[in-house]
Amino acid sequence: MDLIPVWISIKTALAATLFTFFLGLVAARYMAGRDFKGKSLLDGILILPLVLPPTVVGFGLLFLFGRNGPLGQLFFALGRPVVFSWSATVIASTVVSFPLMYQAARAAFEQVEPNLENAARTLGASEWRVFWRISVPLAWPGIAAGTILAFARSLGEFGATLMLAGNIPGKTQTIPLAIYFAVEAGKESLALNWVLIVLLISLISIVALNYWKKRQYPNRAAIPAYSPEGSIDAGN
Amino acid sequence: MLAIDIKKWLPEFRLEASFQMDREIMAILGPSGCGKTMTLKCIAGLVKPDAGSIALDGRTWFDSRQRINLPAQERRVGFVFQNYALFPHMSVYDNVAFGLRGRPAEEIRERVNRTLDKLGIIKLAGRFPTRLSGGQQQRVALARALAGEPEVLLLDEPFSALDSIVKRRLEDELLRLQDYYQGHILYVTHNLEEAYRLSSRMAIYEAGRILQQGGRQDIIQHPASRRVAALTGARNLWPGVVRSLEEEQVLLEVNGLGSLWVTRGASQELKMGQGVTVGIRPGHIQLGQKEAINSFSLAVSHCVEEVAGATYWLTSSSGLSLEARSNSSRERRSDGTLCDVYLPPAHLFIIGDDN
Repeated sequence: MDLIPVWISIKTALAATLFTFFLGLVAARYMAGRDFKGKSLLDGILILPLVLPPTVVGFGLLFLFGRNGPLGQLFFALGRPVVFSWSATVIASTVVSFPLMYQAARAAFEQVEPNLENAARTLGASEWRVFWRISVPLAWPGIAAGTILAFARSLGEFGATLMLAGNIPGKTQTIPLAIYFAVEAGKESLALNWVLIVLLISLISIVALNYWKKRQYPNRAAIPAYSPEGSIDAGN
Repeated sequence: MLAIDIKKWLPEFRLEASFQMDREIMAILGPSGCGKTMTLKCIAGLVKPDAGSIALDGRTWFDSRQRINLPAQERRVGFVFQNYALFPHMSVYDNVAFGLRGRPAEEIRERVNRTLDKLGIIKLAGRFPTRLSGGQQQRVALARALAGEPEVLLLDEPFSALDSIVKRRLEDELLRLQDYYQGHILYVTHNLEEAYRLSSRMAIYEAGRILQQGGRQDIIQHPASRRVAALTGARNLWPGVVRSLEEEQVLLEVNGLGSLWVTRGASQELKMGQGVTVGIRPGHIQLGQKEAINSFSLAVSHCVEEVAGATYWLTSSSGLSLEARSNSSRERRSDGTLCDVYLPPAHLFIIGDDN
């Protein structure tokens, strides 16, 4: 049994998670604690890939990156067409897993007490430093959970990948595609092997990431918020 | 000198604050939700006022007309938040060192240790905030705010989360702070006693307005309005009429009580026959004392005993009621008995009725 689909799957999931991690953080930070016109519409668009059927996402990506699509023409002119390449598997996985990362990170940022960020500002920290030294560490459990989910989702991506990247063994054939086409061809035992491998990878990565999340910030339990009584104590 | 003159439209009311302070401790006193914390946030640069200006020693921090708004990072004020806002993922040492970035490592170490030492928490350097008591957290917050030697130190209800024993000890520490920190200390509280003990000047806030500001004694001795008198604990406020104007004293007629001599306030304009409010604080009333003037015989209606002393509610024969605090707990006056009450003229104050 050749293990190339395992390698492609892991490579794709890692690359997609890396993109999703940073894109999700930036989008989450931008959307958290800000109020502007059309915010819920933008929020809806960012979450859309999560609720749409993956084939619809795949169709949309095919339209964008196809030979006649606006981005497709650009990449074609550069001599690196996206469709049916390994990059296509990464793009499909990134788009589909992005909402999971974005949602988890946004909820986590909104939980960070604003006065902790304010305290850092009064101590002279730039917005960049406030973000990396205060917001991200304090939102860490949520960010880590989002990363785990995004990784798992990338690993299992099928529909959009098939539409955009096709099923090219040794190039774009990830494990989920391999399983589908093995069953299609009547090779049930081969499919079962792939299934077991996917199970193993998913379980190992989730356990490992959970461990990493717990180890990172053992002391981050929040100080309980205090609210004072409502009036002046003016005893004489 | 820190000069503030700001306006900020908030959902419930408009905040309008205008005051100046020197290198001293000034208290902003007011009920919760009156704009006290918002004032501090505007000074720190965390919230942008809608109009006005903020300047420190002639340097403009904010000016709506000149479109100047220095970010919080460049104002470098020390801010002690109500819940201390210590970074829970950093040790005490790292919390205090956070604002010192960019300085030589040796200087940072020396400064952090010196600040922790001054506040008596050097032993806590390696601990995390969640493992500290409220009083310890407060000291760390103070150390963190002071480490960068800011020109202005803002304290938002710093003692409200502490029990009374720890609170008194930390209050002493804040007073001693002036021995080694010569900056502007602006301090927000809803506790009058605390504000009086700690500050030299006070501003009384209500619903976004400063009702009165000035020296602490001045505010206690001469409240400018009924509202200030009530907010600062003057429980006895009665309507009266001016009957005689002497050089030093004023004679008032108070319904249900009789004639009262009141020492004249510095710049108070009064007319014969004018309707005024006269007031006195429960602690300034002397029980069991009879003088030639301002002495009355009132009936005790009830009494609440305290650790040291007691609070009495008394009524005159015509139904006027009075609250008095006695510092002696030797003899408890029983309900219904008559008691001599003396109202010292120097402790009575007059508020013109248009206020």
